[in-house]
Amino acid sequence: MSLETTFPTTPPTPPRLPPLRRLAARCMRNPLGGVIAALVLIFGVSCLLSPHFLTGFNMMIMARALAFIGLVTIGQSILMILGELDLSVGAIGGLAGITGGMLMVQAGLNPWLSLVLCLLLGTACGMLNGVLITQLRLHSLVLTIGMAGVYGGAILVATKGVAITGVPVDISFLGRGLVYGVPVPFIVLLACLGVVAFVMVRTPVGRYVYAIGSNPEAARMLGLRVDAIRIAAFATAGFLSALAGILMVARLGTAQPSIGDTWVLAPIAAAVIGGVATTGGLGSPVGAVLGAVIIGIIENIIVLFGISPYWQSVVSGGIVVLAISFDSLARRYLHREA
Amino acid sequence: MKTAFLLATALLLAPMAARAADDHAPLRFVLIPKTVHPWFDKVNTGAQAAADLLGKTTGRKVEIEYRAPETADVSSQNDIIERAIATHPDGLILDLLDEKGNHATMLEAVDEKVPMTVFDSLPPEGMDITAVGADFCEQGTIAAQRLAGLIGEKGEVAIMIGVPTAPNHTRRAECERATFAKYPQIKVVATGIDNDSIETAQKQASAIMQAHPDLAGWVACDAAGPVGIGQAIRESGRTGKVREVGLDNLNDMIQLIRDGVADSSASSRPEMQGYWAVIAAWQRALGQKTPKYIDTGIDVLTRKNI
Repeated sequence: MSLETTFPTTPPTPPRLPPLRRLAARCMRNPLGGVIAALVLIFGVSCLLSPHFLTGFNMMIMARALAFIGLVTIGQSILMILGELDLSVGAIGGLAGITGGMLMVQAGLNPWLSLVLCLLLGTACGMLNGVLITQLRLHSLVLTIGMAGVYGGAILVATKGVAITGVPVDISFLGRGLVYGVPVPFIVLLACLGVVAFVMVRTPVGRYVYAIGSNPEAARMLGLRVDAIRIAAFATAGFLSALAGILMVARLGTAQPSIGDTWVLAPIAAAVIGGVATTGGLGSPVGAVLGAVIIGIIENIIVLFGISPYWQSVVSGGIVVLAISFDSLARRYLHREA
Repeated sequence: MKTAFLLATALLLAPMAARAADDHAPLRFVLIPKTVHPWFDKVNTGAQAAADLLGKTTGRKVEIEYRAPETADVSSQNDIIERAIATHPDGLILDLLDEKGNHATMLEAVDEKVPMTVFDSLPPEGMDITAVGADFCEQGTIAAQRLAGLIGEKGEVAIMIGVPTAPNHTRRAECERATFAKYPQIKVVATGIDNDSIETAQKQASAIMQAHPDLAGWVACDAAGPVGIGQAIRESGRTGKVREVGLDNLNDMIQLIRDGVADSSASSRPEMQGYWAVIAAWQRALGQKTPKYIDTGIDVLTRKNI
């Protein structure tokens, strides 16, 4: 019996994937592909299902609602890429808003100066979180749960739970204004996203953030100033939350002690939907904000359809879980195929 | 491309145009409470009853769409209101979390020509909107005065505040304090915060009763608080020794009164608020003038009348 060995003269061509799998593969190769595909799908379905969805007014209110949660999401996504979490971002936003109201109304300070001081306060709160986490070697999740209580409690101590009314109209344009039909808070969101995306993609600082998120010990051994970058990231998240808080005060015309109560879990969910890995090192703030857009559309369509409030949480939570599961399964499947 | 765009626009706008052209299309009112809560379910029950009645008597169906924010937060509520405005209903029926914080959003409803009615709250100053509801201060005062009578106008009392950021809860607390202040031998020794949670109220009430063994009575500022207080009184075996006057008419509250754990409850009438809010909204939708305020009154629920 003789063994005959044949060698191909040309390399084998990879099997042609079916169209759907090809589309999925293309989406997955682009870091933002999955979230953009999901966004297009949800947007298209929403347009078909509700005649009210694509109206100018509805688009305007969706853009404005996105602005506040989007700003917080940008900050949270930077931290998540770094492998951290900040559960006090909502309370920082609320504290900055309340402080702004008190400075403007009770102290009679210039509204613009008050705004700057609020942003400084938010940045300082974030920085304090970062310093405590890095110096005491605490897990960010644990520390920021405690700090959320501290900042949230400070709001109640300062206000006794009562809203501060009489916020000067000078700053109302920031929350209520439109530029060519586009809400000002949305423009602020785009500006902040542009700056953060540039820093993350085009500067060494951004690369350091990804490196630390992927492997903090290796980054430390390479000589990166890991603690300083962590503190800066927490300070940035604090700044963005304070910005969202003060924009909300401008939007409402009052400083409400409840500002920021809903800004904790939604930005984390948005970031995860947008491809930011909970383990750090992967994702982008742009993807996270696109994730926030998906959540915003889901919330919008739930109300447009008149789904029972008792089902709203089930539906929105279920869609988030589905989106994350689909993303994870698709990546695993394509990885196995490769 | 242009033709496709025009066709798509026509398809999207067709249902709205058809609806506007049909005077016999159902009247659609969106009811937006402060948050998801059993008290607002009772409001919804009253609203549905009014809608059924109007539908049967006028021959034109009235639909109520109930859309509650998941949390009692003004910005969340504004989002829900704005999304409801985008559907151009025949009326909005709102329980405002804060009339100043809701003002900008309500102006958007005015711009979009969507008439509004408020219940359980007051409209922003200068807005011509009918308000349906009971007086929060009167409700708190009735509860505090009844408790003062039950304890012989002397002794230690405690107040359970609901959500400290909810204007109606803080208003009731203020009026309860003011009422107790009229009795020199009554002392408010403790204040709990339950955040409208029965479980939290129960824990807070148990702890406060441990700290103040001579406590003579309780009043509350929300619907969940008095239920938790009642459970704490029962668990500590102090039924009859610590008196309670509750608020509102949740089923658990009524059961506590039946069981003799709580003496009574100063209850606003949520079903009636929903009912009359729909009647006012319906009149507005037909272009009729409506009263500035409809007072639905307060019931004092006791074992004799429940």
